Amino acid sequence: MGNVLNLLIRRVWISLLVLVGVSILIFLIARVIPGDPARIALGPNATDEQVIKLRGELHLDDPIWKQYGYFASELLQGDLGTSLYTNRPVVKDIAQFLPATLELVFAAGILMVLIGLPLGIISAKYEGRFLDNLIRVIALLGVSAPSFVWAVILMLLFAFFLPLFPIAGRIHTDFDIDRTTGFLLIDTLLVGNLRAFVDALWHLFLPAFALALSGIGQAARLTRANMTETYRRPYIEMAHSYGFPGWRVARKYAFKPSLIPSLTIIGLDFAAMLGNAFLVEAIFAWPGLSRYGVAVILRKDLNAIVGTVLIISAAFLIANLIVDLLIALLNPKIRYARRNP
Amino acid sequence: MNDLTLEIIDLSLSFKGLMETTKVLHDVSLTIGQKEKVALVGESGSGKSVTARLVLGLLQAQSKTRVSGTINFEGKDLAWMTARERSQLRGTRMSMIFQDPVSALNPVYRIENQFHEVLKRKRPTISFDDARVESMAILGDVNITEPERVLKSFPFQLSGGMNQRVMIAMGLINEPTLLIADEPGTALDVTVQDQTLRLMHDMVEERGTSVFFISHNLGVVREFSDRLYVIYQGRIVEEGKTEDVFANPKHPYTRALLAAVPSITSGDTISDAINDTSAFLAPREVH
Ligand SMILES: Nc1ncnc2c1ncn2[C@@H]1O[C@H](COP(=O)(O)OP(=O)(O)O)[C@@H](O)[C@H]1O
Ligand SMILES: [Mg+2]
Repeated sequence: MGNVLNLLIRRVWISLLVLVGVSILIFLIARVIPGDPARIALGPNATDEQVIKLRGELHLDDPIWKQYGYFASELLQGDLGTSLYTNRPVVKDIAQFLPATLELVFAAGILMVLIGLPLGIISAKYEGRFLDNLIRVIALLGVSAPSFVWAVILMLLFAFFLPLFPIAGRIHTDFDIDRTTGFLLIDTLLVGNLRAFVDALWHLFLPAFALALSGIGQAARLTRANMTETYRRPYIEMAHSYGFPGWRVARKYAFKPSLIPSLTIIGLDFAAMLGNAFLVEAIFAWPGLSRYGVAVILRKDLNAIVGTVLIISAAFLIANLIVDLLIALLNPKIRYARRNP
Repeated sequence: MNDLTLEIIDLSLSFKGLMETTKVLHDVSLTIGQKEKVALVGESGSGKSVTARLVLGLLQAQSKTRVSGTINFEGKDLAWMTARERSQLRGTRMSMIFQDPVSALNPVYRIENQFHEVLKRKRPTISFDDARVESMAILGDVNITEPERVLKSFPFQLSGGMNQRVMIAMGLINEPTLLIADEPGTALDVTVQDQTLRLMHDMVEERGTSVFFISHNLGVVREFSDRLYVIYQGRIVEEGKTEDVFANPKHPYTRALLAAVPSITSGDTISDAINDTSAFLAPREVH
């Protein structure tokens, strides 16, 4: 287990470094965009004195490295500054909008794994037969269109023409749920409102499915490819020669060894969903980080832009970290490799 | 009824391809008595492994194969069994040892789990701990001095020779009546291969297990088997007691094979070394 811990520590360090790099980059980009944030924030009727005063408060006239210094030291204290758009601390804004996005992305990730992997396993087990071909067509469909296209199609089909699912939002406005965690699926359960829970789940399904579809296709294709490769290994023949039942061979002998290479891609897909979620949120009027992100970009709300990008990068890095850790835990060659032989 | 462990009568096998079917076994007949060690010798591609897979019942279910002839295992015709009944024999009454022990073991499970899986074939309810105890005992029998460590290991943590011992132990732990060894240890270096073969020899002698021993190497066969069959292009060309065949090889192919013993161990085929192979198609010789 020492190996895994070492790996984890190393990966956390690298992630932190990446995060610092991202913060510098996004800070620079945000400062370089033309337009005076102070003037935009104060509106067209502000006097020059007011603008100069705000520029001073925001340190906008200092050299850029100094500005970054202020920013970084505040960041370390968990302070991302105040949004010029909402006039509230950026941290508060993000805390309000992030859970909706995370709920959507987690749901999509779960769908990706729960649907994509089994499809891949079935496909590989029935290689070359009807079921395999059917699944391959479905998987190809999934990866052939980006998630926002799926979002529009699914919305038209299953919310508009066939009104099976709600067309927009997270939950029916009749429900008034205390926001404890911000995750509606959890909050509704915390207050014991089962009908609200089902309603939230109902709202979540279409956007999550749209977001997951390409990931489902990707996971199925990858799992199938790795597993059919594994099926040609000698230990599969050995398993058959010992008469192990077909599904047991599929699971323990073909699937588990092929899961390791699949996981890396699944992890990347999952992280990519954070980005794709922006468009899906826009289509389904999902009150997540995308709405906030678009609004603050249009208003050149420096602190909010930097904060939003940083949070998304951090989520991306954490997702990758978890996948790396899972791989290390699954792969005995990493877990038990002799260190520096 | 006879008391043969394995009786193969006029076994033929074809693979259906896209355009044509290729026949790879032509009326192969062979028998293995109780406690007998019988070898099937021939160069690469002659049809040894497919014969073994047919005995295990692994090829019959595939749609691209066409099988004819009879395989009687312990007096029962495999063709009359359901796929389920055939699979029930595997791992319990017959088991198999493979060429490369490292790649034949599951890379992501510990040896102890793999033993447990195998033991469950015979006794589905056996507990992990009971399986461990039995595995320890049989690992002792194959001269593994630290069975605890080996059981806790993954295959990649063990040497090739160690994995080979593990595989022999796995093959014998359910006390099958027939052990099929398809070029066992060919992937290992010669001295290790030699050691493990001798070990396997002693183990099956002790247990009275019949062995179907497949090899391209006559030198190895000579030490191991009681009787042997020589196969060339899917046909048995000579059969007899091992010492008789070595003392007086009758078929031209067997003679060529014997003459080539030193070089064939490196994997060359006889046909590469000899220009006129037409004599190899001569009728079968029986001692
Ligand atoms: N699954 C298969 N499909 C088509 N041909 C096969 C298949 N398996 C084996 N063969 C052919 O059958 C012949 C015998 O193969 P095999 O039994 O593996 O030879 P060996 O004596 O080296 O073990 C070879 O010509 C091989 O190409
Ligand atoms: Mg072979």
